[in-house]
Amino acid sequence: MTETKSLREPGMKFYVFVWIGLMIIAGIEVLLTYQGFSTGKLLAILLILAACEAGIALMYFMHLKYERPTLFWSLIPVTIFVLFMMDHIWADAIRLVRVRVLPF
Amino acid sequence: MSESQLALGQVVHASVMEEPAYALQPKKLTIWLFIISDAVTFGSVLFAYGYLRLGSTDWTTPFKFSSILNGIIMTVVLLTSSLTMLAAVLAAKAGRKSSSVKWMGLTALLGVAFATLHIREWLHMMAEGWRLSRNPTGGSVEFGAAFFSITGLHLLHVTCGVIAIIVVMIGFNRGRLTDGHVETTGLYWHFVDLVWMFVFPLLYLMNAAH
Repeated sequence: MTETKSLREPGMKFYVFVWIGLMIIAGIEVLLTYQGFSTGKLLAILLILAACEAGIALMYFMHLKYERPTLFWSLIPVTIFVLFMMDHIWADAIRLVRVRVLPF
Repeated sequence: MSESQLALGQVVHASVMEEPAYALQPKKLTIWLFIISDAVTFGSVLFAYGYLRLGSTDWTTPFKFSSILNGIIMTVVLLTSSLTMLAAVLAAKAGRKSSSVKWMGLTALLGVAFATLHIREWLHMMAEGWRLSRNPTGGSVEFGAAFFSITGLHLLHVTCGVIAIIVVMIGFNRGRLTDGHVETTGLYWHFVDLVWMFVFPLLYLMNAAH
């Protein structure tokens, strides 16, 4: 069964540059860790950088950029939505643990 | 079987065949769906860790620079293994079987190196007294539970990935598996690397001792 490719895939040289870029981002993460940021600020910065790394790996290493756009739009927005909702529902779950049941 | 019977069979067979969804081989679509479900699994454990950390009043940040350096080396090893796996996939698609097999072998070796560094880190922490439910510094025991369970889950994925790469490498070399199998295994391996891109900053860098 042959697949149709919507975009021409690049060669190995391009992927080496992507690999170098990912290592640079990882290095920036380590450098920023020792800059004395507050926990919340460091968490936000590291999450943004990690999301950038993940996006690059997803689009280039996992070839999602070179698949049909319908695959991207079917999988990724839904996954982001599920992760976002999970993050917001957790807080509610922890709150419920602390709710006391009144004895009858 | 006569030609007309053969032709009828071909017409019937052709009418049963559907266009593949997203123009993908079924195994490739399947691995994408598995990756999405596994991403949600890792997302849930990382969110749980996040809430535990933020809700704890005595969270320990035990990682000295030697542990962070170990984490950096592990990151470089895993990123490099992703590159070598990509080389294997490109070689397989181009029909260069021996080249693809060599790149897969190198990827498996790098995966073993990552697992070895990881287990070395674990043994070092256990020697200091860390366990799933013990904190030698007297702080929150949830650090040990979060660290060992999340990194353990990732290490399990790495181990399964290495085994899968070796199986596909042997099968592809013997002509029993196709470049599609190599690509599918490559997708899984890149996902394992992608998860580490979140685990390293959230578990190691956020708990670096200052």
